[in-house]
Amino acid sequence: MRKAFRAAGLLAVTAALVSGVAIAAAGPSATITSPTAGEKISARHTSYLALAGTAAFATPAPATTRFYLRRDGCGTSSDNPHLSVTSGTDGGDGCGLVLTIVGVGGTADQGAFVDYPSTDGMPLTLDASQPVTGTIDLESFGITDPLAAGIGLVTVSVSLEALYQGNGVSVGSDSESVLVTPTQTEYPVAFTIHPNGALDRTDLSGLDLRVHVEGPYAFSGFIGNSGKSFTDVPAWSASFGQGIDVSVDDPTFANAIPARLSGATWSVAVPTPAVGTHTVYARATQGFDTGATATRSFTVTK
Amino acid sequence: MKLGAVVLTVVALLLAVGTGASADTILHKPIYMPDTTHVGAAALQPPPVCCAPAGPPVAGEPAPVNMAYFGGHVQVTPKIYLVFWGWGEPGAFDHTTPGMPADDPDGAAARMTAFVKAMGGTAWAGSQTQYYETVNGQNVNIQNPTNVFGGVWYDDTNPIHDNVSGLELAQEAQRAVAHFGITDLDNSQVVVAQPQKFNEAGFNSGAGYCAWHDYTQPQYYPGVQPGISFTNMPYVLNSGSSCGQNSVNTGFYAGRLDGFTIVMGHEIEETITDPGAEDVINGVNLGGWYDYAAYENGDKCAWVGYTEGVAPPSTVPGGLNNITGNDGKQYPVQSLWSNGSAGGAGWCAGAGDDLPVTG
Repeated sequence: MRKAFRAAGLLAVTAALVSGVAIAAAGPSATITSPTAGEKISARHTSYLALAGTAAFATPAPATTRFYLRRDGCGTSSDNPHLSVTSGTDGGDGCGLVLTIVGVGGTADQGAFVDYPSTDGMPLTLDASQPVTGTIDLESFGITDPLAAGIGLVTVSVSLEALYQGNGVSVGSDSESVLVTPTQTEYPVAFTIHPNGALDRTDLSGLDLRVHVEGPYAFSGFIGNSGKSFTDVPAWSASFGQGIDVSVDDPTFANAIPARLSGATWSVAVPTPAVGTHTVYARATQGFDTGATATRSFTVTK
Repeated sequence: MKLGAVVLTVVALLLAVGTGASADTILHKPIYMPDTTHVGAAALQPPPVCCAPAGPPVAGEPAPVNMAYFGGHVQVTPKIYLVFWGWGEPGAFDHTTPGMPADDPDGAAARMTAFVKAMGGTAWAGSQTQYYETVNGQNVNIQNPTNVFGGVWYDDTNPIHDNVSGLELAQEAQRAVAHFGITDLDNSQVVVAQPQKFNEAGFNSGAGYCAWHDYTQPQYYPGVQPGISFTNMPYVLNSGSSCGQNSVNTGFYAGRLDGFTIVMGHEIEETITDPGAEDVINGVNLGGWYDYAAYENGDKCAWVGYTEGVAPPSTVPGGLNNITGNDGKQYPVQSLWSNGSAGGAGWCAGAGDDLPVTG
């Protein structure tokens, strides 16, 4: 019987290797191999019931997600600055705060920083071993294009925050300075954030990029959107959080029992239920994904 | 002459009846927690009970004058029951968040539940222990037990809708009393929390408050079991910074839920010290502790130090701040009025940024 299990496990692994790409793209899945269908188990001889099966998960591979800084309007009640994995023409492209202009020698603080929370591209499994990079397209308003009115040193600060297990956690931040001159209207300001190592390989529910512009300048500090500002977040294609939940006679998994994973197989021992027919439910989870539920009925005899 | 007298008597009777009726009708209001732009708004407070030695509080500052005991009961051993009414019903939320439950996509219910479990025994809740009720001539002080969590109920059975009324909330509170099997109403309070898309009508209308608490009496909540202390707890994130979003914690996510514990904490503590919600029934004052301007311990310290991000509110003594719950986690709260602070003059206390002790 045990040999048969191993053979099944090997087959599953072999299949995974052969069709690795397909398996990697698939979600988590589980099967039940023990008990066998309709198996009769003697309660007298089996105080603990060994449950086992196979499991398959998507293989995490390095990937990078690009989030664009998008903005629907400028100065409206629905400006909706946000991060999105898709780019397009933004109604709020080039929005800034003109009221804070003080000119050369003063410090104009946009103060009211702008938050760009993610609206898609989540969840994301962060690769904190790699830096988060990006570009903020700083625009200097030109009255007579291509001449701009801005002049002076401008500091662009970005901070990235993650939503992790329902809580806001700082990923990291960076500040970069750029000298604005009247001869140039656009300044792609590159930034690099070294992520909080504690978040490595964690599954994030959301990201927020906060952008703050300040410095002595005039007619600058506007942020270009429409694909010009973005951040690249190193990630993994799938979560490292893998598990198998088992439940006896309860398809809702209200009191799920975690199984032990060993390669492509799982196992767990549960107290043998009362005499009668029962159903085992098993499902695989990977990050926030839950696979289909496998079921197996068996009978406990005296 | 006689005719005149009769007419006068009738008029006097009418006036008396009219005054009595309007007294019950007009005098009664739930005890609102104003949002940040309506602090001191008279419409959001019961009328002063006396000579109002102090005017409305200045926004962002404590309201002076100590509270007094008005003879009603307090919650000596408080138990707080949370009802998340309709959070799992269709249309309750307009969004989902990966990794978060569909019936709590922002984590607000989880945060409120954790807070109620964690608030017992803290120094913040400890300010309530100086207040008492008088029973048979003996003063019985409020306690500060570690466990004040009575239970939680996700009620997706009784349909909710948007613009629910106060009466409907009271009815839900009554259902909660039955659901939990609450028998000690005096020491129990029910927080009826509403999901993003189904909220109480006054909150939705922009009346200027974040939440309120009240006490069921037949005059005001006909058909509802009398004696239930309950809180109308809307989804305050809908009001953004007006109801506390990011008022303590500045991160977009880190401060997103600030308002839930600030506002709910305000109502819970007011209910503990004044569960009768200042009701006067047939001349009997059911109210516990409040000041002569009818401000309770939460009202007197609402939004202290809050300057919309200009400076951290905790830089003001008694300002909004994070406290450490009995689970070791941080929860943003407002401070609570403490008659015993400032050498007995009273101040807002308990949020970890009390007035410095001076010699």
